[in-house]
Amino acid sequence: MSEESQKEEKGIFRELYDALFEHSWEMWVGSIILAMLSICLFMIASPWGSSGGLLNWGQNLFSAIGLSLEKSAPAGVTALFEYKYALLSITMLIGALGSALLGKEFAIRVAPVGELFKGLFGGILMGIGCILAMGCTIGGFFSGWAALSGGALIFVLGLVIGVFVAVKYLLWEMENHPKMSTGKSGIFLQAKTKGISLQPLAGFIVVIIGAAIALNLTDQVLIGFTLIGLFIGIILQRSRWCIVRALREPFLTGDSEPAVAIIAGLIIGLLGFTIIKIMGIGSEMTMVGSNFWMPAIVGGIIFGFGMTIAGGCTVGSTWRAGEGHVKLWLSLIGIIIAAPLTAEYIKPAFLNVLSPGMKQQIFLPDHFTYLGSIIIMLLILLLWYIFAKWNERTGKLSAM
Amino acid sequence: MVQADQTLDCKGLSCPMPIMKLAKTMRQMEKGKVLELLATDPGSKPDVPAWCNKTGHELLETGEDEGVYKYYIRCSK
Repeated sequence: MSEESQKEEKGIFRELYDALFEHSWEMWVGSIILAMLSICLFMIASPWGSSGGLLNWGQNLFSAIGLSLEKSAPAGVTALFEYKYALLSITMLIGALGSALLGKEFAIRVAPVGELFKGLFGGILMGIGCILAMGCTIGGFFSGWAALSGGALIFVLGLVIGVFVAVKYLLWEMENHPKMSTGKSGIFLQAKTKGISLQPLAGFIVVIIGAAIALNLTDQVLIGFTLIGLFIGIILQRSRWCIVRALREPFLTGDSEPAVAIIAGLIIGLLGFTIIKIMGIGSEMTMVGSNFWMPAIVGGIIFGFGMTIAGGCTVGSTWRAGEGHVKLWLSLIGIIIAAPLTAEYIKPAFLNVLSPGMKQQIFLPDHFTYLGSIIIMLLILLLWYIFAKWNERTGKLSAM
Repeated sequence: MVQADQTLDCKGLSCPMPIMKLAKTMRQMEKGKVLELLATDPGSKPDVPAWCNKTGHELLETGEDEGVYKYYIRCSK
């Protein structure tokens, strides 16, 4: 049988499966879809965010073991199934797991001990950083930029500094302490290479379970967040969407593709969020934190360092955890433990020592009008694009 | 089947460690020698060919065996 006639005989569902799950998608495709899903979330209530959900998971954990959270949750902790962002994070994880199974890419992958430690430590730093900065790479950056928040610009500056230092650390570690990333490793429950793998069937069931969680809720907002979370998890895993890569690769391989992908998503987000704000569908100050400039820079540096040594930000850790990387399970655990403790014990004292000018809520259109703000953001994105491409071609800043 | 001169075991490692180790190993290899890279991160499937393409090293063969992705790369520099 010739190859062509074999292709013709492929069933229509097999064709669909191959198109979706045979190969990873381009990251920019994922980025544009994610921006549109974030716009959908904003139309329902508020845009995509990740650290708020993980903070809530942690607060529920701590309140279950009897720890008092009177400063960070004075009215009591919202239950997991009553908080939209907690549900969103749950179904992002479920969606990523389902997607990895469907693509036969799931396996429990145990990294060497040194790597596992970096996952946990990186997670703890992210937990501290996202609370101090009042948002992570998603709410504080991907949504924050689209929301025209001044603090979001400063947050990214902090992230870049943290990423830069962490890349230097990783290179130093590889030369001087190679044992950190070598040693005993393991892989379990991987898909069979020969014969039929049950992973796609399991993945299908997992996605159905995710949808069933959503449809068992009664509140419309919660249903929307839970279902969209499931989609987001799938898109994240399929496109291997990663903000760490976008900020890290200029200093490592020079690859500009992840940066271009994030830029594409931000342009779509800017358009959608601005329409929602101008038309009064959502509140103008949504995703504009009181973090300009001190909380954003301090939190950004800590978060940027943490996400780089962990190898994934809050959502990067979430979808990779779903794919079975034990290092990123530990990163998630680090975030879940550190975020509530930071909110309870560190953040109030930190904000207390800052003067009002150091913790302002800056909404760019208040200073530059909507048009001016959009032009500023597009110019920054253009400069970022030029920088990423220039650096890719010249290799000026990349280490490899 | 390609015969490898050296093997780099990146099993269990996630992004960016496999590519970092690959780059370091290739720097120390002689031109013409073949490296076998073993990885378990699905991210290596797009990343390793892209890196080879960018750096000019020749990706001779890829394979998968029970969750372990194998890459055979000839050092071209």
